[in-house]
Order: sequence, then structure tokens, then C-alpha cells
Amino acid sequence: MFSSKRTSRGIFPTAHSSLDKQTSPLLKALLMIMGLLVFMGFVNLYSASSGGHYFWAQLRNSTITLSAFVICGWFIPIKRIQENAYLIAAAICSVLLVVLLLGKIAGGAKRWISLGPIGFQPSEFAKLTVAIVVAKFIASHKQKGSYTIRDLLPLATTIGCIFVLIFLQPDFGTAGMCLIIAVSQLAFLRINEKSVAIILLSVPVAGVTLWHVLLRPYQKQRVLNLLNPDLDPQNTGYNSLQSLVAIGSGETFGKGFMQGTQAHLKFLPERHTDFAFSVLAEEHGFIGGALVFFLFAALAILALNVSRQAKDTFSKMLAIGIAAFLFFEFTINVSMVLGIFPVVGLPLPFFSYGSSLLLTICVALGLLVSIMRTSNR
Amino acid sequence: MKRLFEQDQPIVDKRYLIGSLIITLITCGLLTRLWYVQIYKGDFYSKISQRNRIRRIEIPAPRGKIYDRHGELILGNRPYFDLVYIPQYIKDKETTFQILSNLLNTSTEQFEKRLRKGRGRPKFLPITLKKNLSLHELSVIESNKVLLPGIEVRVAPRREYPEKIPPHLIGYLREIDSKSLKRLNKKDDSSPYYQGDLIGKQGLEAKYEKYLRGKRGYELIQVDAYGRQTSSLNDWNFPKEPAIPGADIVLTLDWELQKAVTSYFSGKQGAIVVLDPNNGEILAAVSAPGFNPKTMQTGVSFDEWRRLTQNPFKPFLDKTTGGEFPPGSIYKPVVAMAALEEGIITPKTTFNCPGHFTLGRETFYCHNRGGHGKVDLRKAMMNSCDTYFYQIGVELGVDKIARYASSLGLGKRLGVNLNMERPGLVPTSTWKKLIHKHKWTAGDTPNISIGQGYNLLTPMQMANLYSTIANNGKTWKPRIIKRITNHIGETLLEGIPEQIQKEKIISDSNLALMRDILKDVVMHPKGTGKKAAVEGHSVAGKTGSVQVVSLKKNRNQTDVSIKWKEHAIFGAFSPVENAEIAIAIVSQNDSVGGGGRAAAPIAAKIIKKYWDLKQQRAQKKANSELAKIKREKSNVLK
Repeated sequence: MFSSKRTSRGIFPTAHSSLDKQTSPLLKALLMIMGLLVFMGFVNLYSASSGGHYFWAQLRNSTITLSAFVICGWFIPIKRIQENAYLIAAAICSVLLVVLLLGKIAGGAKRWISLGPIGFQPSEFAKLTVAIVVAKFIASHKQKGSYTIRDLLPLATTIGCIFVLIFLQPDFGTAGMCLIIAVSQLAFLRINEKSVAIILLSVPVAGVTLWHVLLRPYQKQRVLNLLNPDLDPQNTGYNSLQSLVAIGSGETFGKGFMQGTQAHLKFLPERHTDFAFSVLAEEHGFIGGALVFFLFAALAILALNVSRQAKDTFSKMLAIGIAAFLFFEFTINVSMVLGIFPVVGLPLPFFSYGSSLLLTICVALGLLVSIMRTSNR
Repeated sequence: MKRLFEQDQPIVDKRYLIGSLIITLITCGLLTRLWYVQIYKGDFYSKISQRNRIRRIEIPAPRGKIYDRHGELILGNRPYFDLVYIPQYIKDKETTFQILSNLLNTSTEQFEKRLRKGRGRPKFLPITLKKNLSLHELSVIESNKVLLPGIEVRVAPRREYPEKIPPHLIGYLREIDSKSLKRLNKKDDSSPYYQGDLIGKQGLEAKYEKYLRGKRGYELIQVDAYGRQTSSLNDWNFPKEPAIPGADIVLTLDWELQKAVTSYFSGKQGAIVVLDPNNGEILAAVSAPGFNPKTMQTGVSFDEWRRLTQNPFKPFLDKTTGGEFPPGSIYKPVVAMAALEEGIITPKTTFNCPGHFTLGRETFYCHNRGGHGKVDLRKAMMNSCDTYFYQIGVELGVDKIARYASSLGLGKRLGVNLNMERPGLVPTSTWKKLIHKHKWTAGDTPNISIGQGYNLLTPMQMANLYSTIANNGKTWKPRIIKRITNHIGETLLEGIPEQIQKEKIISDSNLALMRDILKDVVMHPKGTGKKAAVEGHSVAGKTGSVQVVSLKKNRNQTDVSIKWKEHAIFGAFSPVENAEIAIAIVSQNDSVGGGGRAAAPIAAKIIKKYWDLKQQRAQKKANSELAKIKREKSNVLK
């Protein structure tokens, strides 16, 4: 267990030190699951975009994203992330602010800015940033007893800022996701019971009063519209219905690759993004769907295991955050697509088209690898 | 070593197990739902997917109605039938178009053109191929429905235009163009416009589009193989959203009066405005020539469009606020009141009118070349003696006149929030320097004093001027909206009287004097406005005849082509004290004659109509009250 070797101080450790280690079974499993999901995602995207533009664009994106995965996994020690956590948070906040201001100037909802050929959606990175910030905060504020609201207040404020910046874009789905990630991470700590009670009571009370304050019907509609920022609210019923029909008609074995959706999802505008799973379910049936479910669950549990085996608090908390990010994003999207959750416009990792999302996932998984490799020493 | 390390960790180890359990539970829950949808209901969904049985119907919203002040309907809706094409369910476009072409006697190119317009939209949204099907066409389509999968007839409420509708005031509808569509949808996407939607252009339809429009609803229905609706299965809770009708607008307009004014003005061009001097409400507004909003809605032919846009009398212009005219002699009260206030004259001051007025080396002529002799203010106004006003105008100077004119709301926009409004022009020496780059010379003033020269007023301003004289100096903002209520009866907008000019610089006594003098213009047998007199009611007013081209005044009017004929103008109010209506009439290039001959009689008709209507309505109300009392009495007796 004791290693006399020292990691080099530079950002890029010399190559041979990584070859020295034996690739742990956990890492092997991660790479396998990730590989499968990426592969299935591409296959599905090919069908969803009918062999067209989105598939090739995503393929081009993958070169960058996979390189990011490798860099984060093998060349960035997790300690670097910990040291620069607040810097990263500040950077993301400023970019979010820029996007918000650009949006106000353009007079519409704006969630991304273009960096050359790639559209860059900072709210996606914000999800990972939240995980990093929570991890950093807890790691710097270790205490024996349980945390109270007061202890967590500075953290809550930072998360709150990020939440508001995203919420105002408007992008309620991603903002909510940030909250979910933070809460999941904190759920692994000892929290003062009184604090928990206060939070659990105040949230619904705040929500209800807010709802009644905004009593005017058109404003309520606006809030409901916030929940579906990308979709025409009038189409919502239709889209969900078509999604269910598509999924249901896949039955056990599916209609076969490229054989679905002629009648249905061809008319769903978001089948390469929000409704990507519907395509998969229609073409590959229950078998395909269940496989994807299993893969995501396995990935999440794997991340939790990585967290458990990690040695320092930062790595542990970050790994939990990554697990929450991947799992809940998957859960909400699939629930949406299956008609048991309101349509909030959250994409499905690996399957939905989107360079920022893919990049964020690859970076997240890369950091997971980095954590794994650090704890192996 | 490990254990010591872990004691520093704030993370509770047990939570990992809980976390994994939660993950597993949620995943199993999702699996169950997936199983339910794919295995349990799989067969059901499969059938539906095979037969494409879901149709989405847009429910169009009827536009808000427009009423007059008494609750009479001016503009309502009526159902029209449109032929629509739904790309998602079309089997063979070419065949379908061929069949349609045969049935409806329309070329397939027409259909292709309409199809191109609807490109890029989701395929379940219908594209309109033909609007306003006749009943015959409707029955032909319905009976051949079997041959036309993907072709349907949708009902849409459209405007029903009564005769004599004021087209500029009400406005018309046209299909929205793609630029406006993008712009409006970007601003507010809660109720987006679709290609093919109608949008208000001009007048109330445009200005209050947001209110009148309503919001379309939708419903999902199940249909059979031919597209006919079948009863929906109980398993579905088809989402349905009813259409929300647009908000209704109640105008200040009096529809009966409006129609009467339109007919009194038929054959003429120009504008008439009737206001309520007590609060600025617009009772009638006519601008001629106009256009037919019905043809604008269905589509106007190229020739018709060309004819309309090239007509020199500008049928699309709302002349009540958008037309600027030299006011002519109806401006004289402004100059008179200015002179009285400045102390240059008293009611008893007299001047001699020999038929002309000399200023330096220039001579200005009175309309009566023979001269009026010795005239005081009253006689000058009654006879519309120009010399008198040249005299006092020159003594006042242009800037003083301008000051009083401004205080009466002239020379700037009144803020009538409807169609394009011009500000008119009240010249000042500064203005001339700025715009014409020359100094104001004394020789410019005489023309101003009789309302010619650089002066320009809109008919709305003219009516407002007389309204201000009538109500003792209050300049109201003319208003057309009384109230806007939504479909559940809530008031969204309430029109309130608004005064434009707060400062009053003309004394009450001078205003009262002016009213009395203007009364003589109409009611004295020698007044130029005698043709505006109405039996049984007092009327005050002033005539104006604006020369378009300088003609010798005594020359015969009939041998001059129409575009050189004078504008006949008249401003009036009735009764003289506590006036209830104020009128301005501008009849462009009137072939009948000037203000006294052509415009005054129209004013008389309008004023008579107003009083007749008032009496009729009072009588009607009294009758119904009486009937009510009788009924109640008989009920009690029972």
C-alpha cells in the first residue's frame, strides 16, 4: 500500500509512471460501460438524424470530447482541480453572466455562445462545476459534528448564484439539475436534523406561496412555459403522445435499426435531442431499453464505488457529484420521454446531440478516471 | 491507518449503500414503466402506430368583436370554411392535387404555390390551400373525401364586414408576412403566429391586434382511415385546450351617426370628424375615399391594388389624422381670440374693408372684391371678411398667433393612438428660419391670419379646435376606445378623458364671446354659415374655403377641373352653450362650392341627425321603462 514513488509536481506526470500501475478492474469496467454507451449513442443518433447532419457533427465533436476525456483522466491529477475549484466556478459564473447579457441584448432566450465552429453551452459545464464547488467546500470545511445551515450558507449562496444565472436564461431544467447534484452530494454528509427539517418544510411553503403570488393565468402559463423552454407548449401533449406511441410500438424486440419512426418521430422536432431514447426504444424494444437502463445504473454505482475507494474528501465528494449528474440526468430524461414527468428539456447523456453535453460528460468521466488512478497508488 | 483517515471524513459510509439502493430502486421503477408501455400496452400502441390514427386539430380563436358606445355590434365574425392539406397524411400529392383541381376548377400551380409557403413547418400542421369555400365547394369536397386522404376542411371564424364600415378606423386583415412572423414570435412565444394566420393592418385591427387576436386552442382526435373522427377510446386522456376568443372593444363611436355621416359624405373626398366636447370622445370619423376591407382580407387583384395606390386622393390614407390641410377661414377664431387677449381689439373695434389690404408694396385681397365696408369683429366673422383679419394679424405678428394656436392644441400631434397622425403646422418665425432658411417677412403674415399660407391642420385638430372653443378652453385628447373587455368580462382597458393642454391663456369671457359670434355666423340670416342652421337647435360654426390654386374669386367654379377646385371646410358645434357635439368637415376639391355652399349643409344634416337620434333613443328608453312598469304592475295585480 505504501508507495515510495512520488508523483511529479508538474501538470503532466511522465508517461512511464502511469504505465507502472495495473489497470484496476473498476477502471476496466468504466471504460467498457462508457464505450458501450458512446457506441449505442452514436448508432442511435445515426438513425434519429436519418444518417444526416447531426450524426456527423457529433462524430466530429467526439474527437475533441474524447481527447478531453483522455487528458482529464490521465494527465490532470485531481489535486489540480481541487486547487483551482473556485477559479473554475468564477469562470463559469462570468461566462453565464455574459450569456445572460447577450441574451438580453438579443432580446431572446439565449443559452449558448459560439466559439468558432462549436456552440458552447456554459450551463452544461455549470452542472459539473457545481459538483466541483461542493466537493471543494466540504473538503476545506471538514468537521466532526453535523453540518448546520449556517455552516453551509456560503456554499448555498454560491450554488444559488449559479442556479439563478441559469434559471434566468431561461433554463429551468438545467438549473434544477444543478440543485439536484448539490443536494445529492450533501446527502452523504451528516446534516443537523433541525436544518434538514427547516429546509424540507420551507421549500414547499415557498413554492406554494410563489405560485399563488403569480396567480394571473398568463403568468402561470409563463412558469409552465419555463418548464418547456424549447418546445412549443401547445405541442407538448402531442410530442409526449407520439413519444409513447413510438416507444410502445417497439414492444419486446423493437422494429429494427432505422426501421422505426417513419410515421411518428419524423414529426417530433427533438428526436435527436430530448426524445433520443424514444428512437432507441422503438427500434430496439424492451431489450434495448433495459440494456441502457442497466448501463446507466451500473455507471452510477461504479462512480459511487470509486468515491468509496477514494482517499481524500474532495475526490470522494466529486465522484458522488458525477454519479448524481449522470444518473439523474438519465432518470429525468427517460421519465420525460415515458410520460411520467413534465417535459423540462433535459437531454440524455451519450444519446442526445450536443457538443457541450458530450464534452461535460467526457470531462466528468475523465475526472472519475483521474480519481481512480490517484486512489490506486 | 485507514480508519484514522476515515474519522476525518465528513462522509457517512452507510450512505453509499443507501445510494446504491436508491439507484437500483429508481432504475427498477423506470424498468417497470418501460415494461408497462412496451410489453403491457405494446400491442395497443403498435396498432395505433400502424394506422396513424391521431390527428391534431387547431381550434382557431374568433377575433374580438367591436361595438359602438351603445353596444351595437359594428364588427363581428362568421364561420368560413378552408381547405387544408396535412403533409403527414397525404398519400400521393400529385393525384390529390389533380383530383382537387378537377373538383374545384383551380390550377394545380395554385396549390403548389400555397404548399411552398408552408414549407419547413412540422408535418402535422395543416397548410391552407383555399380559403372561404363556398357551400357548393364544401359539399363537393366532403362527398369526395374518400379520394382525398390528407385533405380536410377546417372551420375558421373570419370577419364579417357590414356596409359603410369605416375602413381606416377599423382596419383590415391580411396574411402575416414571414418577417413580421419571426419578429412577433420572438417577442412573445406564448401564443405564436403560424404561416397563414391573419394579422390586423391599419386602424383598430392593427393597433389592438394583441387584444383582438385571441389564442388558438388545439385538440387531438382519433380518426379512421379516411380521416373522419371516431369516438375516442377511454384509455386516452387526449389533451385539449379550448381557443380563447379575443377581447372585445367598445368604441366611443356612435354607429348610427357614423353610418349617417358616411352617407352624407358620399361622392366626396376628404374627412369628417365628430367629437364630444365634454371628454374628447370620437363619435364619428370618416375618411374618403376608402377601400373595401373585405377584398383586402380575401386577396385583392393586382389591378385593383394598382388602382388604389395610384389614386391621387389616397384611399389608404386615414385623412382624419393623416391628412393635413390649410384650415382657411375656420382659423379666424384663433386669430380673433389672440387679438382680443392681446388687447389689440375690443368687440367694438372696427376697420374698413375696401376689398383689399395693402402692406408695403403688396396687396392682399378680400374674398369680396367689392369690400365689406366698416366691419367690427362680429360682422367680420359673419361675412368672413379677410381684410379685418389681415389687419389684426399683421398687428399681432406670426409668433403671437402661433402662441395662441399652440395653446389650443394646434401644431402638434394630439396623441390619437390609431393611424398615422400628422402634427399639422403652426408657423413661427423660428420655424421659417429653420426650415426655409429665410426670415419671416411681414408679407407672410396676412395669409396666416386667414388660415392659408403655411398653416396646416388635420381634420381631427380642426374638430378639436371647435370642441375647445365650445367647452371653454379644455383641449381633450381625442379618444376612440371606451373599454376593452376580455372573453370572461374582465375590463382590460378603460378609456379615460385626458386633457392635453393644461395651461389656459384665453379668458373665459373671450371664449364666450367667440361662441356667441360663431352662433351668428350660422344662425344670423346674413352669416356665411347659414346653411348649417338646424331647426329647433342652436348651432355655432365657421366656414372655410381654401384655394388650391389662385383663381379670381368671382370666376365661375364649374369650368375649372376638379383638382383645382377649392377645399370646402366647416367647423361647428351644437348647442352653442354646453355643446354636445363638435364637428369638422374637410371636403377636398369640392365641385359644389366652398365652405358655405358645400360643407355647411353637411354639418346641418349631421347635427340634425345627432339630435334626432338622441330624441329617438330617449323615447325608446322611456317606452321600455313604461312597459317595464306596466309589467310589474300587472304582475303585482296577479
